[in-house]
Amino acid sequence: MNKNYLPKAIRHSLTIGWLYPDLMSTYGDRGNIIVLQKRCEWRNIEVKILHLNPGFDHKLLATCNMLFMGGAQDKQQQIVAQDLKKEKVETLKKMVDDGVPGLYICGAYQLLGKYYKEADGTKILGLGIFDLYTENPGENHPRLIGNIIAELAGSTWQVADGKKTTSYAPQATRHIVGFENHGGRTYLGKNVKPFAKVIKGFGNNGEDGTEGAIYKNAIGTYLHGPILPKNPEIADYLIKKALEVKYKDEIGLEDLDDSLEQKAKEIIEKRYNVKV
Amino acid sequence: MINSFLILIGRIISKISSILNLGSGSTWPGHIALNLNPKFIRQTINRNPDLKVILTVGTNGKTTTSKLIKHLLEQEKIKVFYNESGANLLNGIASSIIKHSTLNGSLNYDVALFEVDENILPLMLNETEPQGLVILNLFRDQLDRYGEVNTIANKWSNAISKLTKSILFINGDDPKLTHIAKESKLKSYFFGLDESKMIKRDLPHDVDSVYCPSCQNKLNFKKIAYSHLGDFICPNCEFKKEKTHTFVEIKPPLPGTYNVYNTNAAALLVKKLFGIDEKKIQKYLDNFKPAFGRQEIFEIEGKKIMVLLSKNPTGFNQSIEMVMEMKQDDDNILIILNDRIPDGRDVSWIWDVDFEEFIDDMDNMFISGDRTYDMALRLKYANSSKSQKSKIKSQNYNLKLKTFENLNEAIKIALEELPRNEILYILPTYSAMLEVRKILTGKKIL
Repeated sequence: MNKNYLPKAIRHSLTIGWLYPDLMSTYGDRGNIIVLQKRCEWRNIEVKILHLNPGFDHKLLATCNMLFMGGAQDKQQQIVAQDLKKEKVETLKKMVDDGVPGLYICGAYQLLGKYYKEADGTKILGLGIFDLYTENPGENHPRLIGNIIAELAGSTWQVADGKKTTSYAPQATRHIVGFENHGGRTYLGKNVKPFAKVIKGFGNNGEDGTEGAIYKNAIGTYLHGPILPKNPEIADYLIKKALEVKYKDEIGLEDLDDSLEQKAKEIIEKRYNVKV
Repeated sequence: MINSFLILIGRIISKISSILNLGSGSTWPGHIALNLNPKFIRQTINRNPDLKVILTVGTNGKTTTSKLIKHLLEQEKIKVFYNESGANLLNGIASSIIKHSTLNGSLNYDVALFEVDENILPLMLNETEPQGLVILNLFRDQLDRYGEVNTIANKWSNAISKLTKSILFINGDDPKLTHIAKESKLKSYFFGLDESKMIKRDLPHDVDSVYCPSCQNKLNFKKIAYSHLGDFICPNCEFKKEKTHTFVEIKPPLPGTYNVYNTNAAALLVKKLFGIDEKKIQKYLDNFKPAFGRQEIFEIEGKKIMVLLSKNPTGFNQSIEMVMEMKQDDDNILIILNDRIPDGRDVSWIWDVDFEEFIDDMDNMFISGDRTYDMALRLKYANSSKSQKSKIKSQNYNLKLKTFENLNEAIKIALEELPRNEILYILPTYSAMLEVRKILTGKKIL
């Protein structure tokens, strides 16, 4: 066994903060949490999931090694916005800047941007963590709905791979698959990189071919489905980064058998004649 | 005049398509009629002033509840027609009218009973104001097609606010629906589950209606039937559950808590609109046959198969609960996940199903459908942590899971492996249910 694997005797542990599970959990989002939890447990990494619902103590946030926030209905998003007071937003900003990995899906992705402009021109301010904004072009423009296949933007972002335990050497780009369903069109600013490049589907806005955004170790994306079960490399990236930020050391992850995951991905690739 | 012509055309199309066995004959006549005359439904219903119109709507249970209502009315010698076979969009409703009317547009029935798709309800209410509107429930379902739960609730609420005479039959254990009824000022009756049959437990995670529809505070649930159905009260504005009709003396003809709701909805409607009393209802229910794919039982070469349509998280949880209730030592389960238009293209909802609660008890699981591996993955990750920890590098959970991309093969092998005295439970999504029936009734596999 490679010496960089986690020694069995040392129990690493992670605390994952799930922001607003009661409100921001719409599209099977909890699947992402289940996947993160299992993939840690299968590797003997102790994992604790904190459910951060409205009224939570902002100090809890700072104890998290990874954050997750899902999509929501409009009405529920308003309740969340009210709860995200100054201290919470500042803590969250600092954590993202310090490299705490996070996954922000759909509504959460939009919320982390600068603003969301409604069809009637009303601007709803976001948290300003991601340099991006979102516009809703109105009811005459269709929602962007369907299966999506994208290619991870390889030069800016490397996927942790169990086989490569020593470094994040850039690998051949890999596909991620999911399902998107959003009315808002998101446009990226200079300070974030796209998470992936659209091969089939719409992505951020259906125009510029970008999908999602990545800033430090925080990923924003429109992919649900949910994203992590069929794209376990993203789950592993988040776990690995979370461990490394917490333990300030380079850490390799044990390989897991992802053959079912691969098959689930291939079904979609084959359907749209996308070469693996 | 034009409508007579449309009815004639429709009949001819039905005839041709049934002779040629083209399928989909059930919605084409209505589709054409509505294209040529968008007011076809309104006009034909208006031509028959004595006809009572009843609509049923809801995420789950429309078909079973409609079948129950139809059955109860027919036993009472009331003439009723219904848009069978799940043709619940406007074209299906128009087709059903064509099928049951005379050429001059007369509908010689006492009652027109239509189950209505969630999205279509506002359009249908534009066409006609029903005597009775049954609203069963509102759960997450096919977000890609229906949008979010609040969107549907708002559409319903707006459409219902325009009604003046309809009587509402509402699931009183559902906070959103109760709110819609109270806002409407229409006469409303509430059905529900007897509180003694509810249990005290945490709200499941897949709930969309746990915040007060009136003031947005989090609701308190004293007890829960399932999902967000239960005995609720808002600690802030005192919005709370209405007293419901629970018909404890009536025994539902089908198992499962959700069928208590379906039965109570049907019972309340026939009692209030047609004066059929509980005693008669019970007597009539004793010879009720379930709808297509809803606990339907097939027997193939002496082996029994039960099909339980499972098309959204709440429905799936209920199916699982029912299998767990019914099964003895046997546990032969075939789950089929399709992602076609009637199923919803987005399969992420399977992550909102509580497989965790039963997966460790299952030994013989078959999986098939367009999204076989998505379902297999869901089950892989549902295995309990404890049993995984012991086999870290070889988490080959698919040992227990037999995956077949080909449905014929899945059914064939599941049946071959099925011991004589046991039951194979098939849990399909909607289009998969139709495929299963085709295979089983066509006996293609044998």
